[in-house]
Amino acid sequence: MEYLLSLLVYLSNPWVKGLVGGIGLALAIAGSIVLLLWVERKFIGRLQHRYGPNRVGKFGILQLVVDGIKLLTKEDIIPDAADKTVFKLAPIIGFAIAFLPFLAIPFSETMIVSDLNVGILFILAVSSMAVVPTLMAGWSPNNKYNLLGGMRAAALMISYEVPMGLAIIGVVMLTDSMSMVEIVKAQEKIWFIFPQALGFVVFVVAAFMEAARLPFDLPEAESEIVQGWTTEFSGMKFAMLLFAEYIHSILASLLIVILFLGGWHGPILPAPIWILIKTFIVMLILMWMRATVPRVRIDQLLNVGWKVLIPLAMINIAFTGTARVILG
Amino acid sequence: MEIIAFGVISFIILLASIGMVASKNMVHSALSLAVAFIGIAALFISLEAEFLAMIQVLIYAGAVVVLMLFAVMLTKRDRESPR
Repeated sequence: MEYLLSLLVYLSNPWVKGLVGGIGLALAIAGSIVLLLWVERKFIGRLQHRYGPNRVGKFGILQLVVDGIKLLTKEDIIPDAADKTVFKLAPIIGFAIAFLPFLAIPFSETMIVSDLNVGILFILAVSSMAVVPTLMAGWSPNNKYNLLGGMRAAALMISYEVPMGLAIIGVVMLTDSMSMVEIVKAQEKIWFIFPQALGFVVFVVAAFMEAARLPFDLPEAESEIVQGWTTEFSGMKFAMLLFAEYIHSILASLLIVILFLGGWHGPILPAPIWILIKTFIVMLILMWMRATVPRVRIDQLLNVGWKVLIPLAMINIAFTGTARVILG
Repeated sequence: MEIIAFGVISFIILLASIGMVASKNMVHSALSLAVAFIGIAALFISLEAEFLAMIQVLIYAGAVVVLMLFAVMLTKRDRESPR
């Protein structure tokens, strides 16, 4: 034990910290996805008066392991007319980019891989890159449904990224810093959901769009365009794209918690536990939305993005600025 | 250390830029352009200009997405017949 603790000294070296933190995060995210997928299937099952998975293991908890083995052993089909390089690269790049933003996410004051000065910008920048592999996956297989899904994903990204950035500006104005740790520290007295109620609404809608889940899952609307941008992918490639999608929903709920719901602040329990509890609750709300709300049309979605969310976010910025000047 | 990083990153940027100009396929060009832009962001980071690097990725990555949209919409894809 003493020896193990003495190893912690090496964590001050940025290379070691980055490597250990990165591997630890990747494992933790992979584990939490397996758990969350099970929770989601059970939860939605209950909401729809079904049982959900209940055959493999106690309460069907091993269902995801079995599904994983199924996906691993499936034939990996590459369409003949596909652009093979781009087709093979798309799942790999998508999977890798999905993990990147977590490097700047603080789980407590010290539990962060890299406390960047521009943390929130880093997360925005990297998650905006995530649409490139989606477009690659949409274009490369030479399939009209893939292409439609990819184009929809790009349209979605262009319309949610602007309001998301504008909603974050309000938070940054209150904090005077773009560092994620500083943002959470500034919420010690009052969570930003109260002074930033409007920004919160805009950000939540934009974050749900980023997660591309059911009210906004236009890129893979299975009742309209087969399976959207993942149509031609099979086996492990499909599993990687699916994982990347799921990581985006986890990131969206984590961002909501960190920017507006007080991050790690909470009574009694230690900091990382609080952030996990809050994120889990936001994830549950995401799943609940999925089970209740029907899918919006693409034109409705673009209208909401450009004509409602952006003006609201602008009003929020003006309001925050005025309030800061008046209240000092 | 910095010199090695500069050398590797510049090499990648040069390769990507040449790939972008030389490629006959519009989407490949756009993707190489994205790689070149990210390489430039990496150069900024090695100069400790993090803000500039993030802005580089944010703005130019968005531009690449729009570029890819236009490449897909406005150019014809020659359907090579399968062997």
